[in-house]
Amino acid sequence: MKKLSDEILWKSLKEGDLKAFSVLFNSYYSNLFNYGLKISKNKSLTEDSLQDFFLYIYEHRENLSDLDKVSPYLFTSYRRFIIKIIQKNLKTKIVRDIDENIVDINFTPEELITNQESTTFRNTRLTQLLNKLPKRQREVIYLKYNCNLKTQEISEVMGINYQSVVNNIHKAIKGLREEIQILQLFNS
Amino acid sequence: MTNKVYHTINDFLNDPSFKNWVLKTNLSDVSFWNYWINNNPDKKELVKEAEDIILGIQFKQQVVNSEVIESEWLKLQDKILENKSISKKNSLKTNSWIGIAASIVLLLSIGIRMYYFNDAIVKHTTGFGEILNLKLEDGSLVTLNANSSLSYSKDNYRKVKLKGEAYFQVDKKKTTNAKFWVITNDLKVEVYGTIFNVNTRKQKTQVFLKEGNIWLSLNNGKSRKMLPGNFISYSSIKNTITEDSKKVIANEKTSWKDGTLTFNNSTLEKVLDKITDTYGYEVIFKNPEVKNMLITGTVPTHNLDICLKAIEKSVNVLITKENTKLVVSKK
Repeated sequence: MKKLSDEILWKSLKEGDLKAFSVLFNSYYSNLFNYGLKISKNKSLTEDSLQDFFLYIYEHRENLSDLDKVSPYLFTSYRRFIIKIIQKNLKTKIVRDIDENIVDINFTPEELITNQESTTFRNTRLTQLLNKLPKRQREVIYLKYNCNLKTQEISEVMGINYQSVVNNIHKAIKGLREEIQILQLFNS
Repeated sequence: MTNKVYHTINDFLNDPSFKNWVLKTNLSDVSFWNYWINNNPDKKELVKEAEDIILGIQFKQQVVNSEVIESEWLKLQDKILENKSISKKNSLKTNSWIGIAASIVLLLSIGIRMYYFNDAIVKHTTGFGEILNLKLEDGSLVTLNANSSLSYSKDNYRKVKLKGEAYFQVDKKKTTNAKFWVITNDLKVEVYGTIFNVNTRKQKTQVFLKEGNIWLSLNNGKSRKMLPGNFISYSSIKNTITEDSKKVIANEKTSWKDGTLTFNNSTLEKVLDKITDTYGYEVIFKNPEVKNMLITGTVPTHNLDICLKAIEKSVNVLITKENTKLVVSKK
């Protein structure tokens, strides 16, 4: 039901309904903020970029297409948006480069639930292992398990095909499991 | 279910009953899959992998504080409404007839508004050497420095216009999230409850933030967020930010409200500038080289004579009052 109403809100937004826009803003702000913070690692940049992003959407609302699904669209365009801002900032300051297709997401122990059902992942060193994964796998993990996006949606957001999302998930989980098993051998 | 063939990991992943088994949400699926796994030991590894993928990594839901989201939304809404009025103005240019007609209406409405506005306006003014403590209707505290004025309309006391200098302690309105605005000739300060200082002297506006956070809308259309300790100086005439510091000692910017001025390696010229802001004298340097002597310390301002004595002592100059002038000379 929630998904349905998002799409209706989107239509109202296209007609200039500020109230509908505020509901969308409220329901997506948190997730987009956390995602932006992961990508940029900079709180005020993320806040500013979200302001500009939503303003951009509102100003171009008449040219937006009707959407079957709002959430992947917002993730996709916000990702592109914030990467552009970071790239612009990089031109003035000399910092490490950022590739449009690969973002570098890092995890912290605080954001993980470690006492979970699966025996495999009951390990406090999960974070370290996660952060050792290749960048693409990390982003796939983040979007799937933290933002609860579907495989198809992740492929839209990251601009890679469906099969490589699947492969990345499998590789990541498999890699984690092997690492953890090795650790357990030494620790037990 | 029994007739299905499970060759690849995706066969498991795409089967809702398998997911139910992993998450233990459906008893009949649980017993079916327990039975199936026992009878298909060769698939054990695949089942384990699929189970891991479904369980995945569990994240704590990190949610941005709803108050923060609300204030971010209000900020965005303001920008949207502001842009609307700008684009309306632009469209006036394209059609001159409508433009002329509209500007007549606009002028009329401004006239009417000013008429009403004057009617319900509250204005507080201080003379030279005066400091005024005000409490607004919503409980916000304002200390108005000498030679300054603060005005607001009676029905909107959370939108104030400032000339001169004032120190604000704004109460947060938790229930309504109502904003507090300070408007100067150069910029607007947008506040949700915080402590800060605004100084509009010498054709620029200087804002110092002590606590909380505030949002500046500069008259050139740009906006800026400020964090505690930040100090910014902006002139709309020059359209430049002349000073922008991340961390400033609070006392230097706010000690005036307690009747003292605090200086940290300021030149004598700057120090006397401050004094003239408060007392309205014109300063004349007989020996220009003393302008750049440095002063560090605190001088009292409530009594001009004592204040001048303190300065005389600390930099070894002679300051004499001559009518409306202060004459500074070497000792």
